[in-house]
Amino acid sequence: MEIEHVKGKIMEGMPGFPRQYGPVRSDHQPGVPFFPQESARDFVLIFLLVAIMFFLSAVVTPFLGPARSPQISELIVPDWYLLFSWGLLKVADIFPQFTIGAGTPLKTEFSAAFWGDLLSGIPVIFLLILPFIDRGREARPAKSPVRSAFGIAFLIAWIFTASLYSIREVVAQRWQTPNGSPLIDDIAMKWFFVIPPVLVGLTSYIGLRRLGYQPMRKWLVPYVGGLTAIVAVQSAAILFMPGWLGPQVRPYIVQLVIFLAILLIPMAVASFAVFRLPESRARKWIVRVGVAGAIAFAIAYVALEYTGAANRLAMSWVLSVLEPSMNTLLLMPIFAVVTGYLGVRRPYSTYEYLLNECYQCGKCHTVCPVTKVEDDALGGLNLVYNTFKKQHDGVPLWTCLACDACSAVCPLDIQYSDYILEERSKVHARMAADGGSRE
Amino acid sequence: MMETEYGPGRTIPHPVMFRVLDSEADDLTVPEIKVEHKSEYAYYPGCVDYYDVEMQFSHMNYGDTNHGIIFDSSVKLLRAVGIQPMILDRSFMKCCGHDQLWQGKVDVFERMREYNTKIIKMLGVKTFITSCAEGYRTFKLDYKLDGVRVVHITQFLYERGLRIPPQPDTAKKIRVAFQDPCRSGRQMPIDPVYEEPRELVKRVDNAELVELKTFRADAQCCGVAQMMYCNDKTKGLTAKRMDEATDVDADYLLVACPKCLTHFGCLHHENKWKPGEERYGFKVMDITQFLAERLPGDWPTGSNIDQKRKEPPLPGRRG
Repeated sequence: MEIEHVKGKIMEGMPGFPRQYGPVRSDHQPGVPFFPQESARDFVLIFLLVAIMFFLSAVVTPFLGPARSPQISELIVPDWYLLFSWGLLKVADIFPQFTIGAGTPLKTEFSAAFWGDLLSGIPVIFLLILPFIDRGREARPAKSPVRSAFGIAFLIAWIFTASLYSIREVVAQRWQTPNGSPLIDDIAMKWFFVIPPVLVGLTSYIGLRRLGYQPMRKWLVPYVGGLTAIVAVQSAAILFMPGWLGPQVRPYIVQLVIFLAILLIPMAVASFAVFRLPESRARKWIVRVGVAGAIAFAIAYVALEYTGAANRLAMSWVLSVLEPSMNTLLLMPIFAVVTGYLGVRRPYSTYEYLLNECYQCGKCHTVCPVTKVEDDALGGLNLVYNTFKKQHDGVPLWTCLACDACSAVCPLDIQYSDYILEERSKVHARMAADGGSRE
Repeated sequence: MMETEYGPGRTIPHPVMFRVLDSEADDLTVPEIKVEHKSEYAYYPGCVDYYDVEMQFSHMNYGDTNHGIIFDSSVKLLRAVGIQPMILDRSFMKCCGHDQLWQGKVDVFERMREYNTKIIKMLGVKTFITSCAEGYRTFKLDYKLDGVRVVHITQFLYERGLRIPPQPDTAKKIRVAFQDPCRSGRQMPIDPVYEEPRELVKRVDNAELVELKTFRADAQCCGVAQMMYCNDKTKGLTAKRMDEATDVDADYLLVACPKCLTHFGCLHHENKWKPGEERYGFKVMDITQFLAERLPGDWPTGSNIDQKRKEPPLPGRRG
C-alpha cells in the first residue's frame, strides 16, 4: 500500500476524529457526552414512566382480591414464574433449624423460612458477584466449559426441579399407585434437587470440552460406566433382594424385567462403546442403541397402557417400582447414552472453531505482506478471511507465507498459521490417498 | 508463470534439494556414531550446506552469500564462551523437517522427527543450540524433546555473557539493522528471540543498532516461506524489506535465519548484475558471522577444516 494513498484516506484530525489517543488525551473527544446531554434525556424518560405509574395507580386502581389462605384453598401456588422460589421455601426444612443467641438482643433464628429466603437469594447474590468472579474474556461455552456447566446445572436445579417441588401435592394427587399411595414420594422429589443438576453439569462439561478438541474418553469411561453400574446394581437389588418388591408387584415381574432390560441394555452398549470401540464406530453405535432404546420404551409403554384394564394395572405396578427410583432408573440411562454420544462426537472443525471468533476487523488484512504485492489481494481479496470461508481456489492457502503477522495483530489471538498447517497437510494427504504420487 | 493445480500464476517448485531431503527421510536406520568429545551441549547447524549447494546450483548466487560460514562462526562464538559443543551435522542428522511440515508433507516430517529425536536422545544432549530460527521453532514447538533445552544461539551467547573486545580505532562507525525472523519471533509463544541479538550487536562498540521500519513482533517477513516458491511477488516483498534497510541507511543487514540470508542474498546479488547500478549499499550477513568477525582468534578447526587457517572459509564450501 502506498503511504500517500493511505494518508489521503486518514480521518485523523478531521472534525470529530481524535488526533491523540490514550487516557491522557486532551483534545476534543468525539460523540455526545453523558453529562449533561445523555443524562438529561434519561431523566426525562424516567420521570415520564414514574408519572404514568402514579397516574395509573391513582386513577385505575387494580382489583387485587382476597389473599389466598389455607381456609380458601388447600393448594397455595404463586404465579408460574415464582414457582421456583416457592419450591425452595418448601424444601428448606431439610436444613437444620436452630436459634443462636436466645434471650439476647442478637437472637437469630435459623428457621425453615430463613433457609428458604437464603436459597431464593443465592441466584441473585451469585448474579451480583459474577462479574467479579469471572474476569475472563471468553464468551463461548466451548471455551469455558466449567463455567457453562455450572450455569446449566444451576439453572436446572433452581428453576426446573424447584418448580416441580413447589407443586408436590399436585404430583402426589395426580400420580398414584393402584392402592392409593403417591407414586413419587417426598424423598425422591428431594433427591431430584441433587441428581439431575449433577448429571446435567457433568454432561455439559464433557460435551463442551469435546467440542474444543479435548479427547474425553478419560472422563467418559468412569462416568458412563459408573451410571451403568448404579442402574445394574439397583435393578439386581429390586429383583433379587427379598422385601424390595411388594406382594402386589410380584405377579408383574415379567413386565418389570422387560422395562429394566430396555433401560439397562442401551447403557451397557454405550459404556462398552466408549470403552472399547474407536470413536467413529462408538458414535454410530451409541446413536443406534439410544434410538432403539427410546423406541422400545415407547412401544412397551403403549403396549401396556392402552391395551385393556389388566395391562394398564400391570403398567401401574411397574411404574410403582420405577418411579420412586426415577433419579437413578429413569434418568441415568438417558444421561449415559446422551453423554456417550456428546463425548465422542466430532469436535468443531478448526476453521469453524476459529472463524466463529473472527469479527472481521481486518487488521490481518492490513498487515499481511502478501496483500502488498499480490494483484488479487489488492483488488480486495482478504487472504485470511477468504481462506477461512473456503471461498478460494487454493491460491490464498498456498500463497500464505505463514509469517504469522496476522496472528500477531489479531485481537482474538486466532492462530492462522496453525490453520494453514492443517489445511496444507490435508491437501497432501488427499493427493496421496487419490493415488497421486507423494512428494 | 505457469498453470498449476493450486491455481494460476503460482509456481511451487520443489527443487532437487527437497526431493533429496524427502527421499533421505525414508531411511530410518540409526548409524554408529563415534563421539570424539562428549558434551551436554550440542550444536545443530541446520541445512546450511544444502543452501550453498542449492544457491549455486540454481544460479542464484555465485558466492556472495555464504551459508557455510554460519557454522564456522557459530562454533567460534561457542568456543569463545567456553563451550565445546557436540556438532550434530548433517552427516548423520536429518533436516529438522520445518519445510516439509509447512509444505504439508506431514508424513515426511514425522519420519525426520522420529529419526532426529532418536539421535538426540541417544547422544544424551541436555542443551540443544541451533543457529537457525526455523530450527529453533521446530525443535522447540513441533518436536517433543522432553528434558532437552532448545536455545537459539543468540540466546545462549547472551546468557553465557559473550564479550566482544574493543574494536581498533581505525574501525569506522557502522549502522547495523536486524531482521527479526518470523519463526523465532512472533511465532514463538514462549521465549521469543527479540532482545538477545540486539543486545549482542550493542556489545560491538563501533556498531550502532538501527531499527527497520517494522521490527520485533511487527517485523515484515523476508518474503519467502518454507522455500516454496520464488517469483516476482516474493521478490517484491524481499525488495520492500531491503528498501527499509536502505531507508535507515544501514551498513549491515543482519539476519538470524539462514532462509532470510538466502533470499536477501539472492536479491542483493541480482541487483549487482548491472555494474554501477548497485541498489543496495549494505552487506547482508548472519548475525553469527557479524559477531565472529569481530572476535579475535582463529576460525574453528573442525574435521574438515584446515587446522592452520587464519582466514574465514571461502563461500560455497560443502560443509
